[in-house]
Amino acid sequence: MINPHPGLPELQYVKPATLQEASKFLADNAGVAKPYSGGTDSFVRLRDGVLKLDYLVDIKGLEGTKELSFDPQKGLTIGAAVTMNQVASHPDVLKHYPNLAEAAASVASYQLRNRATIVGNICNASPAGDTIGTCMLLDGVLKVHGVDGVREVPLNSFFLAPGRTVLKPGDVVIAVHLPVPPKGLVGTYKKLGRNRIGDLSIVGVAVLGYPTNESASGYRFRIALASVAPVPFESFKAEGVLSGKKITSELIDEAAVATMDSVTPIDDVRGSARYRKQMVKNLTREALTEVWTKLSK
Amino acid sequence: MTLKTITLTVNDMVETVDVPQNMTLLQMIREKLSLTGTKNGCAAGECGACTVLMNGEPVNSCMVLAAECEGANITTVEGLAKAGKLSKLQDTIIQAGGVQCGFCTPGMLISATALLKRNPNPTDTEVRSAIVGNLCRCTGYVRIVDAIKMAAK
Amino acid sequence: MANAKSKEQVINPIGASFTRNDVYEKVTGTAIYTDDFQFGNKLLYARAKRSPYPHALIKRIDTSKAEALPGVKVVVTGKDFPNRIGLYLQDKTIFATDRVRFIGEPVAAVAATSEEVAMKAIELIEVEYEELEAVFDAEFGASDKAPLIHPDLDKYICPNFIFPKAHTNIANHFKIRKGDVASAWEKCAYIVERSFKIPHIQHVPIETHVAVAQMDEKGKVTVWASSQSPFAQRNLIAHALHISQSDLRVIAPMVGGGFGSKAGVTMEAVPVALATKCKGWPIKFILTREEEFYTNFVRQGLTIHVKVGCDKEGNLLALKNMMYWDGGASTEYGTNVTRAGGYSSSGPYDIPNVETDSICVYTNHPIGGAYRGFGMSELHTGLDQAIDELAEKAGIDKVTFLKKNGVSEGDVLVTGMIMHKNGIQECIDNVAKSLKMGEKEKPSSPDRLRGKGIAIMWKAPAMPPNPGSSAWVEMSEDGNVTVGLGGQEIGQGTFTVMAQMAAAALGVPYEKVRIAGPVDTQYSPYEWQTVASRLTWSMGNAVVLAAKDARRQILETVAEAWKESTEDLDIINGVVVSYKSERETSLENIVIYGMPKENNEGWTGGPIVGRGSFMPKYVTNLDAETGQGPRAVVHYTVGCEGLDIEIDKNTGTIYVLKGAASFDVGKAINPALVKAQVEGGFAQGLSSAMFEEIKLVKGVMTNPSFVDYRIATAPDMDFPLDTPFVEVPQDDGPWGARGVGEHPMVPTIAALGNAIYDAIGIRLFNPPYSAEKIYLAMLDKGLVK
Ligand SMILES: Cc1cc2nc3c(=O)[nH]c(=O)nc-3n(C[C@H](O)[C@H](O)[C@H](O)COP(=O)(O)OP(=O)(O)OC[C@H]3O[C@@H](n4cnc5c(N)ncnc54)[C@H](O)[C@@H]3O)c2cc1C
Ligand code: FES
Ligand code: FES
Repeated sequence: MINPHPGLPELQYVKPATLQEASKFLADNAGVAKPYSGGTDSFVRLRDGVLKLDYLVDIKGLEGTKELSFDPQKGLTIGAAVTMNQVASHPDVLKHYPNLAEAAASVASYQLRNRATIVGNICNASPAGDTIGTCMLLDGVLKVHGVDGVREVPLNSFFLAPGRTVLKPGDVVIAVHLPVPPKGLVGTYKKLGRNRIGDLSIVGVAVLGYPTNESASGYRFRIALASVAPVPFESFKAEGVLSGKKITSELIDEAAVATMDSVTPIDDVRGSARYRKQMVKNLTREALTEVWTKLSK
Repeated sequence: MTLKTITLTVNDMVETVDVPQNMTLLQMIREKLSLTGTKNGCAAGECGACTVLMNGEPVNSCMVLAAECEGANITTVEGLAKAGKLSKLQDTIIQAGGVQCGFCTPGMLISATALLKRNPNPTDTEVRSAIVGNLCRCTGYVRIVDAIKMAAK
Repeated sequence: MANAKSKEQVINPIGASFTRNDVYEKVTGTAIYTDDFQFGNKLLYARAKRSPYPHALIKRIDTSKAEALPGVKVVVTGKDFPNRIGLYLQDKTIFATDRVRFIGEPVAAVAATSEEVAMKAIELIEVEYEELEAVFDAEFGASDKAPLIHPDLDKYICPNFIFPKAHTNIANHFKIRKGDVASAWEKCAYIVERSFKIPHIQHVPIETHVAVAQMDEKGKVTVWASSQSPFAQRNLIAHALHISQSDLRVIAPMVGGGFGSKAGVTMEAVPVALATKCKGWPIKFILTREEEFYTNFVRQGLTIHVKVGCDKEGNLLALKNMMYWDGGASTEYGTNVTRAGGYSSSGPYDIPNVETDSICVYTNHPIGGAYRGFGMSELHTGLDQAIDELAEKAGIDKVTFLKKNGVSEGDVLVTGMIMHKNGIQECIDNVAKSLKMGEKEKPSSPDRLRGKGIAIMWKAPAMPPNPGSSAWVEMSEDGNVTVGLGGQEIGQGTFTVMAQMAAAALGVPYEKVRIAGPVDTQYSPYEWQTVASRLTWSMGNAVVLAAKDARRQILETVAEAWKESTEDLDIINGVVVSYKSERETSLENIVIYGMPKENNEGWTGGPIVGRGSFMPKYVTNLDAETGQGPRAVVHYTVGCEGLDIEIDKNTGTIYVLKGAASFDVGKAINPALVKAQVEGGFAQGLSSAMFEEIKLVKGVMTNPSFVDYRIATAPDMDFPLDTPFVEVPQDDGPWGARGVGEHPMVPTIAALGNAIYDAIGIRLFNPPYSAEKIYLAMLDKGLVK
C-alpha cells in the first residue's frame, strides 16, 4: 500500500553557484542529497516516499548545463538542464539526429517535456527511459563533474541496474555528448504504450542504420530496446544478423526474431512478458523496415 | 524549515513571497497568492490541471519548486483575460461548449494558449498531441478540440 | 417598459442550446471548488491512517506518539465513532473499529497544523493486527467455504427491498422469476451461454475528494464538500455522530466531476469526526490521487453467467442470468447496484421467460459504490455480447435482431411492469444508418482488420421508491429570478437546464434566471441526491412547480390590481399582459412591492416566493422471491451505440474510425448539453472498454495512480462521433424530458466487444479490451504470427 505525500515532503532546496560547490555539497551529504534537473522523476519518487532526501540540489544554473550546441566536427552537446522540448525542436538536432528528436518528443506530454531533460532521463536509469537507447546508439558520452574533477563516461558502461548507475556521491553530469553521426544515418524510435501517445513504453525500440563498407551487407544497423531488460539494452545478436548478408525483408524478419530472442522481459502492470516479446519483434521489424526503406532509396 | 523569499511576476504583477522550501509552484500559486483557478488533480505531473505558463512555456506547476521561481514570469488562467476581455480561446471554449465540470479547463486553456502561440494553425493531430497531458474526464475532448480549432481560425 | 415586441418570447427556453450559466467563472478560474475556499491560518490538515491488510482484526491502536508530536491537534480512532451508517445497508463505520476489511480502510485520523506534520503523525500511530483469511473472489465469497467478513450481518439495518442472508457474505440476493425458463429452453432453436468478468474500475473525477469540517463551540457542524449528495451526507453523518440533522450544515460548491463517486458518504465523515474533537478549527481532508484510486468507492467487479435463447425466427424466448457482484468490504451502496442489475436484468429486450440471481457479495476489496449508470454497464457488457452471438447463430442480421427484440410500449418487463412509450427503434436506426451497419467495409491498410459493433441499452433511475426534490423561486426588484435548488452542478449542466425550465414555466427570458448556489443545506431546498440521471426529470418537476407557483402569485397580484381574471393574463418575456384589456406591466418592482389597487384601495401582492416539491409515489416493492411487482421503477431511458473500428495486426491497438450514439431523451431541454453528455459518456465508456481496470492482487491495487491506471486522452478519442437523439416524451417529465447523464457509457463496452468480434472473429470475455489482450488472442488463434 502506498500513501504518498499530498505535496513534497520536507526538504531543503540548494542552488550551488559552481560545479565544485555542487560536487562538494553532494559528497558531504551523500545519501541525503541528490542533484536534480527537471525534477520530473525526483519529485514523483520523493512524493511516493521511495526516495528520501534532506536536500535537492538544483543543477540548472551550473556552468555548461544549459548548453545545446552542434559542432560539425565534434557533434552535439546537450547540457544537463536542456529540456526534451528544446532538444526536440532544435534545428541541428532535427537535421542531424532526427531520431533523437523523435524519441524526446515521445516522452509524456508537452508541458512535462518543458521540464524533463535528456540527462535526467539517462541518470534516472529507468528501463523505460525513452531517450536512453537512442543516445546509446549514437555513442553518447557523459561529461561528469565529481569531487576529483571532470571525467567522461560512455553510456554503454553507465548503467548497472534499474535506477542504478556508476555515478558516485558528488557526481554531477554536466552534459551528454553525441559525436558526429555516421554519414547517411537514418534512425527511428518506435514506442508502444497503452494510450496512443503519452504513456510510458510497454516496449520501445530505437533503431538506426547507415552505409558502411566494413560489413558484408554494406550497412550497419543498431538496435536498442526500452522496457524489456533491467537496463537499456542493445541487441548485438540482431545487429550481427544484419551485417552478414544482403538486406532483404526476410533478413529483417530474422533480425526482428533475433531481437526478440535476445531479451527476457518481465510481467508487470504495463504488459506481460509474452506480449512484450512479441512487440519487440513487431516493432523492431517495423523500425528496421522503415530505416531500410529510407536507406535504400 | 527556513523559508525562502522569492520575487517573481505572476499575471503581470510583481510578487514577493516567502515560501517553504518543499513548496511547489502549484501550492504557492494557490495557497500564497490565492489564485485558485489553477487546479491540483494529481500532484504528480500526470493530469495537467495545474498547467501554467512559466516564461511563456506551459509546465506542470506541481512539478516545479516555488523556490526555483526567482525572477520567473508566470501566467495562470486568471491572467488570460486582459482588461476584462476574455481571450479568444476562452470565448471559443464557451461557444463550443467545451466546459463541463470545469476542473480541467484552466490547465486546458493554458496548454492550448501555448499551442496556438507556437503553432497558430495546428492540425487535429497537433491539437490532440498538445493536450495529451491534460486529462478531461467529462467531455471526451470533442468540444475542447473544436474550441481550439475555432480559436486558430 | 413593456412594448408589443414583448408579446413574443424571444427564444423559447425549452429546446434552446444556451451556453452554460456557470461557464464564465469556469474559464476565468474564478469558479469556486471546495479546495478553493480560504480558511486562513487556523486551517488544520487531516490525514488518515489506513489498513495495510485486506482482512485483519485490530488488536491494539496506540496513538500516544502521534498525539505528542508538536503540531498535532487531534487524533481520532474508531472507538469514538461506533455508529453504523450506510445509504441502503447500514454496515459501515467511519473508521474500522474491531476489524479492517480492505486495504486502505481508515483506522485512525489526525489533524495537524500542516500536511507534513499530519503525515509524520500518521506514521507514528501504531496499530497491531491479526491477519485473517481474506476473500478476493465474489463467487468464492458467496460459498459456504468463505470466511465471514461481516459476522454481524443479521443485525444490520436495511430497507425492506434489500435481502441480506444472515451468516453468509451475501449482502443482497435479488431474484427474478418470470415465466418458465426451464421449459422455455426446449422451444429455443438457438442458445448461447457465456461468462464474462468485468473488472473493478474507478470514477476518476479530475478533482479528488475533498471536505472541510468545522464544529463550533455550540456543537454545530459545517462541512464544505465536493459532493453529489449534500443532503444525504447531512443525514448520514448526523446519524453517525448522533447529532441532529439541522445541526449539520453541508455547503457544496462546484464539483470537479463526480460520476457517482461523490454520492453518499465516503471520506467526508473523517474530517467531521476530527472536528467534533477539535472545536472551532476548520479541518481539511483532501485525498491524494492515489487515495482516490484505492480507498474510495469503486465500480464493483461483476462475474456474469448469461444463457439466452431464441426461436428460429430470432424471437428471444428465455434468459438466465447469474450475477456475482464483488461488493467489497461494505455494500452499503452496492446492495442497490445489485438490485438495479437485477430488476433491469433483461436489458431492453422483450423476453417472456427470465430467471435472474443478482448476488452482492462481501469481499476484501475496495468498497463498491455508485458509478455512472451503475449495474448497467456491467450487465450490458455480458448480455449484449451474448445476444450479438445469438443473432449470429440464428443467422439474423444484428440490427434486425435488435429491432425485433427491443422493448416496446405495452411489453411486460422482467419485473411485471408494463413498458412505456420509447424510441429504441429510432435509436437503433440512427446508429445503424450512421455506421452503415451490415455493410462490410475495407480496412485502410493490409495491416489492419476492420469491424463494426452495435449494442442497445436501457437504464432506470436506480434509487429508493420515494426520493424527493424541492425548489423555490424568488424574484428581485429588477425582475430577475433566483431558483433555489438542492441538486448539484457536477458538470452535467443541471443549473443551466433548471434555469431554462424556470424561465419557460414563468415566462421570462433565460438570461433573467439565476441559480442560488452553492447548494447549502441550511438554505437550499431538499434534494435526495445528484445521481441516477434523475435531476432533469425530478428536480426539473420541482423547479417547474415552483416557477408555476410564483407565476400564479404574480398573476393573482396583477389580476387583483387590474380587477381582471387570471385567465386573461399571461407572462410573456418577463411582461405581464392582459389578453382582455391589452394592458401590460413588466415584472420589475411588482414582484417585491406588490401593486397598488385601483381607486386607492390599498395594495395587493408582495414578495413573490414560489415553491415546488416532487416525489414519485407510484413505485412499488417487488416480491422477494420472484422480483415481480406492478412498478419497479419510474421509467427507463433507452438508447443504442455503435463503433466502426480497425485493429492493428502488429500491436492489437484499436483505432476507432467512427462512433455513433443515440438515446431517447424524451425532450432535449438543451440539445447542446445533451450532446455534450453523450460525447463525454461515450468517451468514458470507451476508456473503460479499452484501458481501465483496478488491478487487484491479494487486495492490493497495483496501479493506484495515473501512471498505470490509464484513462482516455485526447489523441485516443480522435474520431468523429455522431450523436443524434430521439424525443419520445416521458409522461411525467417536464416537457417530456428524462435523464441521459449516465446512459452513454452503458453499452459502450459491449458495442466495442461486438466490433472486435466482427473484426477478428474472437470474443473477449474480460474487459478492458487492451491492445495486449487483443493481440495475444489473435496470436493464439493464428491470425497473426
Ligand atoms: C507524468 C510523467 C510522465 C513521464 N513519462 C515519461 C515517458 O514517457 N518516457 C520517459 O522516458 N520518461 C517519462 N517520465 C520520467 C521523466 O520525466 C524522465 O525520465 C525525464 O527525462 C527525467 O528528467 P528530469 O530532468 O526531470 O529528471 P530529474 O527528476 O531531475 O532527475 C532524475 C534522476 O537523475 C538524477 N540527475 C538529474 N540530473 C542529474 C545530473 N545533472 N547529474 C547527476 N544526476 C542527475 C537525479 O538525481 C534523479 O535521480 C515521466 C515522468 C512523469 C512525471
Ligand atoms: S496536478 Fe500537476 S499534473 Fe496533475
Ligand atoms: S470538464 Fe470535467 S474534467 Fe474536463
